[in-house]
Amino acid sequence: MFKNYIKLAFKVLAQRPFFTFISLFGISFTLMILIVLTAFLETELGAHQPLTQKDRLVFMNRVIMKQMTRDTIWQVDTTLEAGAPKYDSTFTLGEERQSWYSASTATYSFLDRYMRDIPGVEAYSFYSPDFSYDLFANGNKLSFKAIYADASFWAVYDFQFLAGRPFRADDVTAQAQVVVLTRKAARDYFGTDQGVIGKHLEMDGRQLEVIGLIGQPANSKYFVSAEAYLPLTLCPPAVLADTGFQGPFEAVFMGASPIARESIQQAIASRAANIPLPNPEEYNYLELMTATFAGRYAYGIFPVKDSPSDALRTFLLIGGGLLLLFILLPTLNLINLNVSRIMERSAEIGVRKAFGAHSGSILAQLVFENIVLTFIGGLIGLLLALGLLYLVNDAQVMGDTQLQFNARVFAWSVLICLLFGIISGLLPAWRMSQLHIANAIKQNPS
Amino acid sequence: MIHLQDITKVYQTKSIETTALNRINLQVEAGEFLSIMGPSGCGKSTLLNIMGLIDEPTAGHIALNGQQITAYNSRSMARFRNEQLGFIFQSFHLIGELSVLDNVELPLIYRKVSSKDRRKMAEAALEQVGLKNRMRHFPGQLSGGQKQRVAIARAIVGQPKVILADEPTGNLDSVMGNEIMNILLHLNQEQKATIVMVTHDETMARKTHRLVRLFDGSQVL
Repeated sequence: MFKNYIKLAFKVLAQRPFFTFISLFGISFTLMILIVLTAFLETELGAHQPLTQKDRLVFMNRVIMKQMTRDTIWQVDTTLEAGAPKYDSTFTLGEERQSWYSASTATYSFLDRYMRDIPGVEAYSFYSPDFSYDLFANGNKLSFKAIYADASFWAVYDFQFLAGRPFRADDVTAQAQVVVLTRKAARDYFGTDQGVIGKHLEMDGRQLEVIGLIGQPANSKYFVSAEAYLPLTLCPPAVLADTGFQGPFEAVFMGASPIARESIQQAIASRAANIPLPNPEEYNYLELMTATFAGRYAYGIFPVKDSPSDALRTFLLIGGGLLLLFILLPTLNLINLNVSRIMERSAEIGVRKAFGAHSGSILAQLVFENIVLTFIGGLIGLLLALGLLYLVNDAQVMGDTQLQFNARVFAWSVLICLLFGIISGLLPAWRMSQLHIANAIKQNPS
Repeated sequence: MIHLQDITKVYQTKSIETTALNRINLQVEAGEFLSIMGPSGCGKSTLLNIMGLIDEPTAGHIALNGQQITAYNSRSMARFRNEQLGFIFQSFHLIGELSVLDNVELPLIYRKVSSKDRRKMAEAALEQVGLKNRMRHFPGQLSGGQKQRVAIARAIVGQPKVILADEPTGNLDSVMGNEIMNILLHLNQEQKATIVMVTHDETMARKTHRLVRLFDGSQVL
């Protein structure tokens, strides 16, 4: 039966070339955009180095301090008793409200004191992604972002080492003057990425030995993206010595599984409740903002209410809405085209039903035909998308971030084609499947 | 075989009510070749469509092979049409995008028949109407008479109990018309097919076993 459907689908398409061209143009253009969008989301949110364990990670990158106060309302009643005034006073406490607010990443000291030994954590790292330095190489000024990290940074984030090694715990303890560079940074500084291990680089007044060379992480993930990675003990001493709560460091915790994230977040929240505040007159309430990878990404776009989970909801709602709108418009257009195309075939549908096709088989046939059309459009869209991705990557429209097209994007593309085909074919097919046989046969005799 | 009792069909719009069929009672026996005649608009095709379960009466009862059709749901009716009925239309109604062979196979697609058997059965049906040599052609490459022969092959391929023909010679010249009529007579005489045919042609109608005349929706003979 499907062989017959395929045969008919191709013949119907070939018989109406103008309609086929209009349909394919709409489908392929829409699917091209959707495939590029999928590639973008895959690049941004997919499990790629150094974030292959992203679904096991919990970030703590915001120490929020507040002064919460309640207004006291006094009521004084004055009465005259035996010629003398008498006072009676009562007071009520108002709603708790926020007077002062301060939010920032943490100091190393804070993390060191309060964020170790969180239950359910398999590995964790404290690091600061907030430093940048100007360097000079071959008469050129370069600006390098630097991340100061502990040795477990390399255990949590699995960077691809092209050469050399990461710094180890003993390097950190010994304040070894070492650095891990990205390939691009090595090219910029040394003019090559070959044989740079063991060479020295001058940064922040230090001569740093290059011990490792890594691939470039997507620069949209600023918390792992830098040109240079150094042991945190090389961080400016004043920063390390700061015993306050807010500084340039953040923490990442890796659970045994994605499910463990929730208990880690709860453990951090309950720990926050027991941390004594240094100056309660100024701030009397402490909150530690934790986020999953997706939550953190969404919070970067919609920083709402110090809540990555709310930000993720907003992101999904707005992103989903826009995506729906983007899919809906061409789908409605295609539905319209399909209705007029299929109506021309009402006599055929009538004949099929007269010879024993029930509504379900007519529905299946027409949806199937539409899926064939969508897949042809999808194939064209795929080729266009590959061309567009090449151009976007080649022109470095997104900086160093290279949009990826892989098996997962391909699988999503197939799924999108299938959904697009079903949705745009279902309504016209359903209408046709409900046609009154005798009336349908009277039309368009062949 | 076909028993129509008090069949009435009324077409209703907001302002007009048209009675297409008025209390028709008709019995068609197995192996019978019946023709229905009458002026245009008298309800011949409507009656044939109701017999073929592709239109519903406003009132009345239909029994096919002793079974009341009112008890059938749409899926059962589709199966019944597929297994028991074959249709021949005045305008042929072949699917232009499919080859002659594929057109003839159409009723078998909706049965559990392997593609190999489908092909065999379709070839046999085409052989009966003398068009096996044209099975790779498309309807657009055939004459009117050839198209109607393909339509007959499609109607008989599933070996239905009843063939319903709506003016099968109406779009053909007399030579072609006679050719088609001879095929139908042959099917009736040799294969004992029950045939109900709507026609305007008195000569064709006289070749059948029985003639029913309609006038303004009522049976007059």
